[in-house]
Amino acid sequence: MKKGYILKRLLRSVISIIIIMLVVFTLVFALVPRDNIFFEDATYRKLGGKPDEKIDYVYNTWQKLGYLDYVKINDYCLELYEAGSDEIKNALNPDSKETADFVALYESKGYTIGYYTVSKRAYAYKDVPLLQRLWKWFSNLVRVDTIYSVQDPNNPDLERKVYFGRTPTGGLALIGSGTYHKYLLYTDSHFPFIHQNFITLNMGESYPTYQGLEALSVMFSSQGTEVKRDVTYETGETGSSAIDFGSLTYKENLDRMDKKKFTDHYANYTTFKDQSSMVGTSFTMGIFALLLAYGIGLPVGVAMARNKDGVIDKLGMLYIIFITSVPSLAYIYIFRYLGTTLFGLPSVFTTFGPSDIRSWILPIISLALPSISSLMLWIRRYVVDQMNSDYVKFAKAKGLSRKEIFRSHIFKNASIPIAHGIPSSLAGCITGAIITEAIYSVGGMGKMLPNAINQYNNTMIIALTFLFSTISVLSVLLGDIILTKVDPRISLTDKAGRS
Amino acid sequence: MMERIEDNLFEFAEFDERESEHIAAPRYSYWKSVWRTFIRSKVTVFLSIFVIALVAFALIQPMHSGYSPTVAPNINNSEMKYLPPSSEHLFGTDNIGNEVWDVVWAGARNSILVSFVSTAIIMVIGILVGAVWGFSKKMDKWMIEVYNVVSNVPYLLLAMILSYVLGAGLGSLIFVMVCIDWIYVAYFIRTQVMIIRDREYNLASKCLGTKTFTMIIKNILPYLVSVIVTYISREIPSLISYEVFLSYMGLGLGTNYASLGRTISQYKSFMTGYPHLFWIPVLVLAAIAISLYVVGQKLADATDPRTHR
Repeated sequence: MKKGYILKRLLRSVISIIIIMLVVFTLVFALVPRDNIFFEDATYRKLGGKPDEKIDYVYNTWQKLGYLDYVKINDYCLELYEAGSDEIKNALNPDSKETADFVALYESKGYTIGYYTVSKRAYAYKDVPLLQRLWKWFSNLVRVDTIYSVQDPNNPDLERKVYFGRTPTGGLALIGSGTYHKYLLYTDSHFPFIHQNFITLNMGESYPTYQGLEALSVMFSSQGTEVKRDVTYETGETGSSAIDFGSLTYKENLDRMDKKKFTDHYANYTTFKDQSSMVGTSFTMGIFALLLAYGIGLPVGVAMARNKDGVIDKLGMLYIIFITSVPSLAYIYIFRYLGTTLFGLPSVFTTFGPSDIRSWILPIISLALPSISSLMLWIRRYVVDQMNSDYVKFAKAKGLSRKEIFRSHIFKNASIPIAHGIPSSLAGCITGAIITEAIYSVGGMGKMLPNAINQYNNTMIIALTFLFSTISVLSVLLGDIILTKVDPRISLTDKAGRS
Repeated sequence: MMERIEDNLFEFAEFDERESEHIAAPRYSYWKSVWRTFIRSKVTVFLSIFVIALVAFALIQPMHSGYSPTVAPNINNSEMKYLPPSSEHLFGTDNIGNEVWDVVWAGARNSILVSFVSTAIIMVIGILVGAVWGFSKKMDKWMIEVYNVVSNVPYLLLAMILSYVLGAGLGSLIFVMVCIDWIYVAYFIRTQVMIIRDREYNLASKCLGTKTFTMIIKNILPYLVSVIVTYISREIPSLISYEVFLSYMGLGLGTNYASLGRTISQYKSFMTGYPHLFWIPVLVLAAIAISLYVVGQKLADATDPRTHR
């Protein structure tokens, strides 16, 4: 296969991802009213009796989420006069000269001027164009940590260097100062044992649910209750905590507790919890469902083809018809009912939690049901097609046994198109199964998108779309590459002489 | 004793030029053969009557009952709540005193309506675009790029975001389904058209000066009937499934519309206490989808000329 072809495909994939993102940006930011994001916001509701603070909060939030640029007269006047002086008090008045200047200045820049309901002071805002927002999102996507990452005006003497050392838990580490993360490269006892923080993806901060968390860490950090253990902090202070030292990041304003624990400004951290992350949960479930699907679907499909029009074939077709025609919602409930009444398995994941193997059985089976059916259908089709081909007749004429023909000829050829689908099925494991996870209340990725949509969490919608579409685009490409490796006759590029 | 055969028993036949042109084969009408093949199986006939009755009932019953999810006439009447199925209340009543019978059929009506109308629009757009797409190599060049982009978008993601953006309602749900699905149908038809476009009989037809449009309508589309019917028979249940899925997730049809998906999600908390509430909608849904699918498949088999005897 030509290298140029893969490069071209990758380029095309990138372009289609950008187009998808443009579509989703337009859908989410231009077509959905921006007031909707406050429906689930508790702070917003509390501000009901304070109209000025409400306006300020609303515009600040919009600015944070990238909808618009927002300027208050206070900011403008603070540049002119000192805080608390008499001049500033007069300047803030709606009929002052400064207000007139402020209005004139920002109107000339294309801003819209508004006045607070009670104090009548002025503010200005300007919408950020959609393409600019998209550009901003992509340019902020990859965050490279350098020793100049932190720019804190209150801490001008911050050292800027990188050195080798140890983490408080004893792991080897490359430690940075002036960087956003403290430990740039470190080892610990958690999978995958070596971690890096040089390059991180940044998809914005989640709002209004999971406030203060980055979209990616919502998906990838562990869930459940904190796992506390005895730790010794940098200052020698000991205590019981679930702190993940590797996650330490720069914190501008340290409080008393921080100063007790840490010798420097790196005091923001995440904690270890006892359940795997959303991605992890979905992936574990998906992998086992996939194994189950291939383990059952392939042999049954082959058996159906070998006994074409026999009893196994008829029963198999009945199953396939059932799964393809009945909505997944209905058959998952039916299978769950059978599982709970016949085998006494828990009906929801949370009854015994993720540590109990019984919780996993029914969701995994439910997840595998449709894959089993489609694998059965396709492998049967391929094997039947191969059985009627000339080379099989020839092999039979040469006197090969049925078993031999099946094993070394038919199955090999029939599994080629099946191999093509493996990367996509693996990708499906990460993106989760929406219905299955909803019915069994599994804390995985499947519920993320419907929840984000129902709670107007636009950051999460964008992040999830990007993640899902990137994974699906790349897995299709990977499937094509695997196809050419498994079957050398296939070429992805057009052969010469063919139109 | 044998009679003697004499020459005067015979007379000369006249040579009829018109008669010699006549082909001595039974007349073949495609649609009549389809019909004959379709009604050959008793099970199929029974099932199709069942499906027609089911669909007709689902369309008519809600008009008669006047059920609307926005009104609950028996909400304060505790005697009407949680009644088990009986001759008076066929499917029993639910937590707010509604007849489950009415709720289920109103939901079924919307599911069927959405899936039938969307399928019709999707198929018309898809077939027309696909036929032209398959024929024109110029159009193929850029349409295939459009397809690459669209097919890379996770299907459900777009459905969910679109229905979130457009808001609730029958019209917008149909629009969402058409938006997402038409290109898959067009691509499918394009591939089918490309397969038979360069067959000998089409080349001959082209040589004889047939116009492209006539060729599509007369030479190619009739060949595709069985493939299209197969596609439709899978499309309708899958769209029912999507409607149910979206409504179950709180998207799709809004709270002002009856929907099987939302009914199931509302009743799921009664699964242990009042199992009939939960299981009736689930089973009705399964029955509708499976019978539509099976009848569609049988119809698709009948439209394949190779099954005609």
